[in-house]
Amino acid sequence: MSTWLHRLNPSIKMLVTFVFIFALAFYFDPWTPLLMFGAVLVVQVLFSRIDWKRWLMLMLPFALGAVGYFWTTYVFGTAEDRLDTALSLSFRVFAFSSLSLLFVLTTSPMTFIMSLMQQLKLSPKLAYSLLVGYQFLPVLKEEFIQIRQVQQLRRPQHNQTTWSRLRSLPTVAIPLLAGAVRKAEKTAFAMEARGFTGSRERTYFHEVTWHRFDFYFAALLTLIFSLCLVVGAFL
Amino acid sequence: MPVSDVLAFSDVAFRYPDEPSPVLEDVSLKLHVGDKWLVKGPSGCGKSTLFYLLNGLYPDACDGELTGTRILFGKPYEQYRPGEISQVIATVFQDPDSQFCMPTVEEELAFTLENQSVPRGQMEEQITRTLEETGLTAFRHRVIQTLSGGEKQRVATACALIMKPKIVLLDEPLAHLDPMTAREYVQWFSALQQRHEWTVLVIDHQAELWRDFFDHVIELGEHVPISETKRTTPSSSKPVGSGLFKARVNVPGILNTAELQLESGTITVLAGPNGAGKSTLLKAVAGLIPSAEREVYTQSIGYVPQSPEFLFMTSSVRQEVALGGGIRTETYIDKLLLGAVAASNPFAVSQGQKRRTALAAMLNDARSVLLLDEPTAGQDAYALEELEDALFQVVTDGAALLVVTHDMNFASRIADALLLIRDGDMSGPFVPRSVFSNPALLEKYRLVASEGGSIDVNMAAPVESFY
Amino acid sequence: MLANWKLKEVVLMSLLAVVFGIIYLVFLHVGNIWSSLIGPIAYEWIFGVWFLVSIVAMAIIRKPGAAVIPEVMAAAIEVLLGNAVGPRLILTGLVQGLGAEAAFAVTRYRRFDLPVLILAGVLASVFSFGYGYLLGGFSALSPWYVLLMLGIRILSGAVIAGYGGGLLVNGLYATGSLRGYAIARQKRDARV
Repeated sequence: MSTWLHRLNPSIKMLVTFVFIFALAFYFDPWTPLLMFGAVLVVQVLFSRIDWKRWLMLMLPFALGAVGYFWTTYVFGTAEDRLDTALSLSFRVFAFSSLSLLFVLTTSPMTFIMSLMQQLKLSPKLAYSLLVGYQFLPVLKEEFIQIRQVQQLRRPQHNQTTWSRLRSLPTVAIPLLAGAVRKAEKTAFAMEARGFTGSRERTYFHEVTWHRFDFYFAALLTLIFSLCLVVGAFL
Repeated sequence: MPVSDVLAFSDVAFRYPDEPSPVLEDVSLKLHVGDKWLVKGPSGCGKSTLFYLLNGLYPDACDGELTGTRILFGKPYEQYRPGEISQVIATVFQDPDSQFCMPTVEEELAFTLENQSVPRGQMEEQITRTLEETGLTAFRHRVIQTLSGGEKQRVATACALIMKPKIVLLDEPLAHLDPMTAREYVQWFSALQQRHEWTVLVIDHQAELWRDFFDHVIELGEHVPISETKRTTPSSSKPVGSGLFKARVNVPGILNTAELQLESGTITVLAGPNGAGKSTLLKAVAGLIPSAEREVYTQSIGYVPQSPEFLFMTSSVRQEVALGGGIRTETYIDKLLLGAVAASNPFAVSQGQKRRTALAAMLNDARSVLLLDEPTAGQDAYALEELEDALFQVVTDGAALLVVTHDMNFASRIADALLLIRDGDMSGPFVPRSVFSNPALLEKYRLVASEGGSIDVNMAAPVESFY
Repeated sequence: MLANWKLKEVVLMSLLAVVFGIIYLVFLHVGNIWSSLIGPIAYEWIFGVWFLVSIVAMAIIRKPGAAVIPEVMAAAIEVLLGNAVGPRLILTGLVQGLGAEAAFAVTRYRRFDLPVLILAGVLASVFSFGYGYLLGGFSALSPWYVLLMLGIRILSGAVIAGYGGGLLVNGLYATGSLRGYAIARQKRDARV
């Protein structure tokens, strides 16, 4: 039971997450998002095995953003109860992020894409291109760093300010993009030479399925959200 | 027994939509069962295009214009369903990094089967069989990105073979492999070929690595005579060394402390197997590895990566050479034979011209130590000769050069000194000739002795005088 | 929708999404540091960066969908990377992409010159702002502050995504690596 979240169907997990993110957007009291954040955390603790250090690392930038949200809303807000709204919007950032992490940290990219293709009927052309992109990510990242370094070597002045880094991005982007165009063509030809046509008529080595547990997940989140609403309304 | 044609092309011509004239003309060929063809010709002569016409990707994949007839097992190409030809003709491409789309070896093999709608129940058995046959069983669950170049090429080959093809096309499969790994691939492939009697076509600039594998040759295009590239600088006219560049680098966990001394006006070659740390050493000396311990005694170091275009920041070759503010732009454009392309976009010129542009820019910046990473990979004989001339030109100007390559023929022609590296341990310098005549040393560094190339290197310094 | 797309075009969209995903990350770090200091408005002036992939991909491939699909792919790749914005990012990408796509749809996929690219940047800004207004709860902020945010975002979309994207595509076209794509074909036909 403890790895339940990891075994859910990724497409259903994603859609359920979407629904509650949207639902939350309609509430401006501080309690609903705060309770939701807490409840999602409990679900995550009970039903998944994740690296909590990673969870914290991913959460940190959003915590910073939430601080910015808080004081912006407080200073520039119009509502009567500015403090409540400001708190609500900051907690909303936490609730969104915890829901998102619930998905991100329990879903394997491969299974996610396979499920998009098998359950949500994403075109195989798109799905496999996405997989190719995912495989190339470390390669292109490495190239990005290398290009930046060797170009830096050629610049007469070695100033490394944030601004100069941003300004140099277009000259870094051109060789990176030119390389990406070549890689795209080579890989596409290699796939076609192995019989990939993009047709939906294909079999799958990894079959991704869904079963009743996926509906239990949707039901559980609905229950939690309703409880948050009721409790939030009383507080 | 009558020998029937496996495949026949007659009067095939092909033109790319963006080009005014056809890249291939009057191509006629007949392939029979078990034929082993070498496809030769200079870069840009249409060898890869021929392969795309053979495996049926063209003309559809690029909207090119095709004339002539193509027959595969008695049926015109046009009558095959999309994807059907790939069951008969398998292709392995040059770049080990741009032919996979799945994370692991097993999934990549399954991808080929899925494309042909092989029922899921049969996949397991076919994957296991192919892995056993190709000796790759141990790699089944490995992540492809973590494999070496040689391993990737074998996996790519296995992925091509899993559909039991009749014809196998290999497009420069050895271009990025070190010589010993290349030899091992050839042996491995030859054994498979004998067992399955495939019809094989191979594009390769280094035909000698295949020994006597081939029984037919197709020669495409004409070799352009080297008219503009006159041998201007015989190596004997090198000036006497006028300076010594010393460096000591160490990259924790990857490269043990390496000390090098490069003399101006000389070329030092750094050789060793793939993954030995050659590129790391070069980058460390250039100051591109933050975690490296580094002591160098000059700041004017130039570095040309394996893809020289990483360096380019402007829109013409001339601006590129002038970028650093050097005043001898035109001199170096002339010296490195870039006059004809000086106004062109540096990305749009040939690979050799790109590398020479980078060299000219470095020289114009008055960088006296130049580091070149793998300038020979995937280059044809003509391009290699051009490169050789350019390097001699560079050292005549007094620069000290350090070149990474595993092309020992090339090394034997240019090297004044040889550094060898293996598992992050560098040793040397060695006198090149002494290395080529020492099979034990070659074996240790997975190198293959240069063949036939006369070693006319000026032995200016015996090994001892380097230290 | 993708039936008449060549595989190399679809793979190219994906790789463009990756390249811009990497560039987004650089800006995300900049934006994050700023946003704790000056609030969500920190992202506004660099927002155009997030629309670049739509404009670059469309200018090269020139087929319906070439703006919205890569934007969604870029979002999906960021999700696969473990971005904590999570699957919500896919929706964000969809909305932004639709904004850019609208500019090309309005011109019936016949014009890809600078004014249209800038329009695409502006529309992407407007669409994404509408979406942000709902999810970010901007309705709780004072109208002049919201208008200021919108103004900066539109400017960013026009300059960084529209103008900058146009420059990037021209630079890339000049390298000769786009042969075989619609941009090269149409530029050649225009010259003849």
